Amino acid sequence: MKTAHRSAMWRRSGTAYLFLLPWLIGFFGLTLGPMLGSLYLSLTKYDLLNAPRWLGLNNYRHIFTADEYFYKSLTVTFKYVLFSVPLKMAFALLVAIVLNKGIRALGIYRTVYYIPSLLGGSVAIAIVWRQIFDGEGLINHFLAWFGIEGPSWIAHPSYILSTIVTLSVWQFGSAMVIFLAGIKQIPADLYEAAQVDGAGKLRQFGRITLPMLSPVIFFNLVMGIINSFQVFTPGYVIGDGRGGPVNSTLFYTLYLYLKGFSFFDMGYAAALAWIMLIIIGLFTSIVFVTSKFWVFYGDGKDGR
Amino acid sequence: MKKSLGLTLSVLLLAATTACSGGNNGKPAAAGNSGGAGAADQVELRIMWWGDQKRADKTNEALRAFESKHPNIKVVGEFAPNSGYFDKLNTQLASGTAPDVFFLGGNVTDYAAKSVLLDLQPYVGQELDLTDMDQTMVEYGTLGGKLVHISAGANARGMVLNTELFKKAGMEVPADGWSWEDYARISKEISDKLGKGYYGTYNFTVEGMDIYMKQRGKQVYDMEKDALGFGQQDAEEWFNYWYGITKNGGMVTPSLQVSNPPGDTSKSLVVTGKVAMSLIPSNQFAAHQNLTQDKLTMIQVPRGPKGTGVVFESSQGLSGYAKTKHPKEVAELMNFWINDPDAAQILGSDRGVPVTSKMRDLLMKEATPLEQTVYDFTSRVSEATKKEPFAVSYNPPNFTEFTKLAETAVQEIGFEQKDVKQGVEDFYTGATQLFGAK
Repeated sequence: MKTAHRSAMWRRSGTAYLFLLPWLIGFFGLTLGPMLGSLYLSLTKYDLLNAPRWLGLNNYRHIFTADEYFYKSLTVTFKYVLFSVPLKMAFALLVAIVLNKGIRALGIYRTVYYIPSLLGGSVAIAIVWRQIFDGEGLINHFLAWFGIEGPSWIAHPSYILSTIVTLSVWQFGSAMVIFLAGIKQIPADLYEAAQVDGAGKLRQFGRITLPMLSPVIFFNLVMGIINSFQVFTPGYVIGDGRGGPVNSTLFYTLYLYLKGFSFFDMGYAAALAWIMLIIIGLFTSIVFVTSKFWVFYGDGKDGR
Repeated sequence: MKKSLGLTLSVLLLAATTACSGGNNGKPAAAGNSGGAGAADQVELRIMWWGDQKRADKTNEALRAFESKHPNIKVVGEFAPNSGYFDKLNTQLASGTAPDVFFLGGNVTDYAAKSVLLDLQPYVGQELDLTDMDQTMVEYGTLGGKLVHISAGANARGMVLNTELFKKAGMEVPADGWSWEDYARISKEISDKLGKGYYGTYNFTVEGMDIYMKQRGKQVYDMEKDALGFGQQDAEEWFNYWYGITKNGGMVTPSLQVSNPPGDTSKSLVVTGKVAMSLIPSNQFAAHQNLTQDKLTMIQVPRGPKGTGVVFESSQGLSGYAKTKHPKEVAELMNFWINDPDAAQILGSDRGVPVTSKMRDLLMKEATPLEQTVYDFTSRVSEATKKEPFAVSYNPPNFTEFTKLAETAVQEIGFEQKDVKQGVEDFYTGATQLFGAK
């Protein structure tokens, strides 16, 4: 009895592990070693060219007590996450709902809107973005028709971050596809029942769509937070690659990269990386902990 | 976005370099065997430089010429644009896969201090002939008692002027011997006369800082004391000077300076005829002039109390990797670079005027009018330094970080986030800490 139960368990989790195998091999074979290596480096002074020198926690102490750029880069990154994640998700949800209204050739739209997600992280798109938002770029030509003289969006510290947020919102595709799949899962009879009871569209959205979608929202939120914290390419390409103008594109990862590869301080950069890991972990766990209050699983796991 | 550009690049590079070394057995060439064709062991060298496609084409042509004269050596070239070059090099040095030969600029001190450069002294007089090379250049490449750097060209910094804008403004083109007061006044006058969208000058607070300090008997980096060679007060005067030009309207807006940086020739507003004056190294003059119909010219930088502060100095040069398996071939390649007439003719003065007198004479004989402008300028600088000599200076250690601090201060002042006093104070404190920390 007991053994039969165990073997059934094993069969089930064994299948799961089998599917996880590629990731596990990658993690233990490739990722784990460098991670531990960077943990060691974070406790040393390592200038890339000479052997690391043991420092203990000095790198961490310096980061928290004496590094102005650390706090600046955190501020820039937080601002970015705060704006880009909700905007991108709202936009993705909106488009998903529109596409769900039974448009013809849905497949084509889905593909077209998904493409930016594939391209968005690339250097080429960042360069295109630079051209569009340049002082004499497309956007300003457009504004000029209405007699508005637009600033140089990519060269002014007050505007450049919003340019980069726009770029990230434009990559709403992958979140949208997941939302779309989620919406299609919602049983139509719920809406029919609501309609019979006289609930309006808005009420249906608030009481049916959102709760039924909450697991998908949860997933997109977690992925969005993790990805946004690691933003690098747009800061490197659209900005001047050194965090300028006036540190307005000094994303955390860019600062880390500069410290490690340009300023010859890989130990310090490794310490920064570990702090980033902890920050991302913290935010993800906050979302996980709060999820039981707002994520609704239709399979009745939560007793409803 | 998921993977950072730099990391991806370095992984690709690693893949590429391991692929390269796989083809080469890493056997050192047998000495004295190079004459016998086919019998000689094949040696493969890697070389890396920064710059644009045009420079890459010329450099590759020169490398092919080298190969045809040294059939046993194959040279593989790599290049990167200015901005990413040193990050790429650092990554390769860290992983022990750096090229056998690579180019360095004023930051050669940083690399010499980290002992990653090949000592070329054992090859001098054998593979590497320095008899015809300017003595100052040999000294420049000798750091910590070792010869680690062979200059590939000399240049002098000066002002590039777009004469078309002066003509449009109905003003006379300035000449050597002007002062900083003249410079500020002329900048403003051009901006005023040409109106909206035209400016007198770029902001080169950072690029010109060492010149200004030298004109006052100071220096940015005091190598002997390993400390800053100027005071906060000096920096404040210099930043204030530029703030004055910003205020009177003679300077490009800070936004334009960011979107069209003067260092990027293809975007430079001097080339596009929007800015009248900027500071450039003389070897960049041709690159500027080739992109515009407007006639450009070069004159010396405005004078300070002790003169112009500009000397004829190495613009960049070749260093060998300390861990190279083929030091002898590295020396041969460098020798070819500075002494071979074919090399001189192919490479021209793209990296600066040749550092050996024979090659210099050779190029001057066949100079185009454009090159003639540069030679005229550099010879005027040479003449001036005979009367008012200045020491050649090196960049301070951690120069990238130093520059970042200075540029941030300039931008903070430009975008009016800090006043000059505060901006300079933060820059100076940061720069001082660079010396303490390392």
